[in-house]
Amino acid sequence: MRYESLPVPFRTRQLKDGNFVAISAAGDHAFVSADELLCLRSSPIQLPLQRLAELRARFLVGRESEPAGLVRLAKSRIAAKRETVLAGPSLHIIVPTLQCEHSCRYCQVSRSLDDGGYTMTEADLDAACSTIFQSPARTLTVEFQGGDPLLRFDLVRRAVLRILELNKGEGRRLRFVVASTLHQLTAEVCVFFKEHQVFLSTSIDGPASLHNKNRPTPTRNAYERTWAGVQLAREAMGHDAVSALMTTTREALNQPEAIVDEYVRLGFRDIFLRPLSAYGFAKRNQGHLAYSLEAFRTFYARGLARVLHWNRQGVALREVYAGVLLNKMLSTFDGGYVDLQSPTGAGLGALVYNYDGFVYPSDEARMLLETGDASLRLGKIGAPLAELLNSLVERDLIQASLTQFTPGCSDCAYNLFCAPNPVDSQAQFGTPFAPVHLTEHCRRHMSMFDDLFTQLHDADDWTLDLFYRWASPVAGAEA
Amino acid sequence: MRQVRATFDAGRERRVCRVVDSVDLAGEWTPDLEFVIRVLSPSDREFTERLWDAGTTNVGWIESDELHVGDVVVPVAGKSQCLVHFREADRHHAIFLTNRCNSYCLMCSQPPTPQDDSWLVEQAIEIIRHIRTSPQAIGLTGGEPLLLRSGLRRILDSLSAHHPTTSIEVLTNGRLFSDEAFVHQMLDDLAARTSWLIPLYGHSDFLHDFVVQSPGAFDETVAGLLALQAREQPIQLRVVLIKPVLQVLPELCRFIAVNLPFLREVALMACEPTGFAMANREHCEVDLADWSGTITRATRELERRRVPVILMNTPLCALPSHLWPLAHKSISDWKNVYATECNGCAVRARCSGLFAWHDKGWKPSKIRPIEGAPR
Repeated sequence: MRYESLPVPFRTRQLKDGNFVAISAAGDHAFVSADELLCLRSSPIQLPLQRLAELRARFLVGRESEPAGLVRLAKSRIAAKRETVLAGPSLHIIVPTLQCEHSCRYCQVSRSLDDGGYTMTEADLDAACSTIFQSPARTLTVEFQGGDPLLRFDLVRRAVLRILELNKGEGRRLRFVVASTLHQLTAEVCVFFKEHQVFLSTSIDGPASLHNKNRPTPTRNAYERTWAGVQLAREAMGHDAVSALMTTTREALNQPEAIVDEYVRLGFRDIFLRPLSAYGFAKRNQGHLAYSLEAFRTFYARGLARVLHWNRQGVALREVYAGVLLNKMLSTFDGGYVDLQSPTGAGLGALVYNYDGFVYPSDEARMLLETGDASLRLGKIGAPLAELLNSLVERDLIQASLTQFTPGCSDCAYNLFCAPNPVDSQAQFGTPFAPVHLTEHCRRHMSMFDDLFTQLHDADDWTLDLFYRWASPVAGAEA
Repeated sequence: MRQVRATFDAGRERRVCRVVDSVDLAGEWTPDLEFVIRVLSPSDREFTERLWDAGTTNVGWIESDELHVGDVVVPVAGKSQCLVHFREADRHHAIFLTNRCNSYCLMCSQPPTPQDDSWLVEQAIEIIRHIRTSPQAIGLTGGEPLLLRSGLRRILDSLSAHHPTTSIEVLTNGRLFSDEAFVHQMLDDLAARTSWLIPLYGHSDFLHDFVVQSPGAFDETVAGLLALQAREQPIQLRVVLIKPVLQVLPELCRFIAVNLPFLREVALMACEPTGFAMANREHCEVDLADWSGTITRATRELERRRVPVILMNTPLCALPSHLWPLAHKSISDWKNVYATECNGCAVRARCSGLFAWHDKGWKPSKIRPIEGAPR
């Protein structure tokens, strides 16, 4: 036999320093100089022997016809990248009510307490619980969103007990999450949550001044009341029973360090530096809420640097967005982040059972409804899961999310790590099929992958160790 | 394998026997096994002869002060010697299955021979039948055990029939598992609790194939590993630390961690200075202390991606202390020694020590006692 070294197809992206990141069909990457790239494309055999071995091992150099073992290996690697979404919907979001005490300026959906007609019927709630078990996924995360679900704790309680009952004989791994302001949290509610291992997820946008500005309530003390809820939950249910998310508003842009420091001060182990999504009320108010991608990129870079700074001081704080993307870049196993799946995680990985009696493919899709776009309805609550996932709407979403057939994705270096977000596209352009490169989703993720590859390229061993820790898939992936 | 001086009755030559004391024979005797009574006093031999007179044919005598009750032995024909195939008190147990191999590794400790030795299959099954107390684990070695094909399957089935609680470790290059028909033959309805110990010496075909001196071996081993994974078989990957391997070790470990994350563990092993390793000394002799940075980087590649890693055959004094937690006492009892320098070493009790033949070959590093309180 001959040990040929021939060029194989792979994709590249140039980084700021002029070097390239080359990414193979199996998802391995290598940083290469322009000269090396020329060699790889024309005559890899000219590379030094050890470098050649390295690049062969990363599927960046090949043979005339690849032998069976390596072909099988590459296939198994690619399959592992798509494993989570094809295991069946594992994230099930129930929206028991749209009511909320807050009137956040950027909020997509919520309705005030005296607005009627924004609450799920018990019949729909029960039907949703049954549909969840039609998914073949071994692990099921059931997340209650709102509005503020704790305003209708009776419905949350009913669903949790019903799902636990249905799980007898099913033996699925269950994980419950309630997303709430925690203003209505009481000691009794904590007892129930602790007993049934329900986790809490709340919103903290940063220091009190920023949080209270973002999240007005009649009493102007949203921060104080949420923090009181966090403390109550930690005392009753354990420190890690409650996590927090932040949303980046225009006011946040100039204070990433203060936001990160606030998370450290409050003792959280995760922070998710999330951009404002372009939907719902937020979209209507875009004139005074929106900011440029560049502005977010700068904000994010400063925030991430601050997170790394704290880790260097021995404070373990994970930036969730970086964790999601590093998982894609570094891990053989996909963490299951819904918004970066091909085929799409909307529907195939996640389903939303909405207060209005209909099922939607993602949290963002049900938010579109509140601006009058009901086009992403998959069907009525109670319809069989197979019917929901076979609906014309879902088929369109799948069609629009296949990287190998989507112009702009098919030749993108990051296409094994990323995917179009057809729901985002619907929100931004009114169709799931908008040209991918125009979408905010694509532009943001391109720049984030670029920046993280640059960081990887420059990272010392300590930083790499940290990035690998963040990259390993976490149980109950983030929605 | 242990070889001890012994005299025995001629009827036992070449036969697999279990060593027993005369007082215990009545409790252990069955017609389908062979026994040798350990001669502790002249009356033991007389006792044996009385049994013969009474028509018993499956009991003989053996005289040696190096045998234990429960040993499974084969007296060597025409010599005052006896091979001990199994000893209950040992920490490691192994059955040798063949001396044939389809690879020709630079550092092979058991250089292969081409002769047909398929009689070893029947002997192995006899040994398995004669083991009195099921060991926790037993190794099957060669040569390349997969070359026995249905013979190996019979051995595995016999182990699971006689010793269902024993976990079996097959030392193999895994190459034949690249053939799907072979996978069926070996693994369909396999009841034995088997794990597979498979070596990998490079992250690219030409690196691995050079070390095992067999073109095409890399691809076959990779295919074999994936076939075993598809059958959910536990695998320990073994990497022997000779020079051409150490030169690429961190990248090899990266390849392993990314592509084979399903492995039960990866064992990085110091070379056994015997066999081909002596003939290829320029490739095989290294001082591990010179490579401690490389080994540290390599373990880091595995640990970052959460693939468990252990170090074998590595005396603690050859390693930086941050790697000590990974080091195992891995050398089989009968070939395990300590150097005079080890007297007074504070960590001797948890150290792998040395291969008995290090004095004819080389030591893995300069051996020196670790000072301080025992740890």
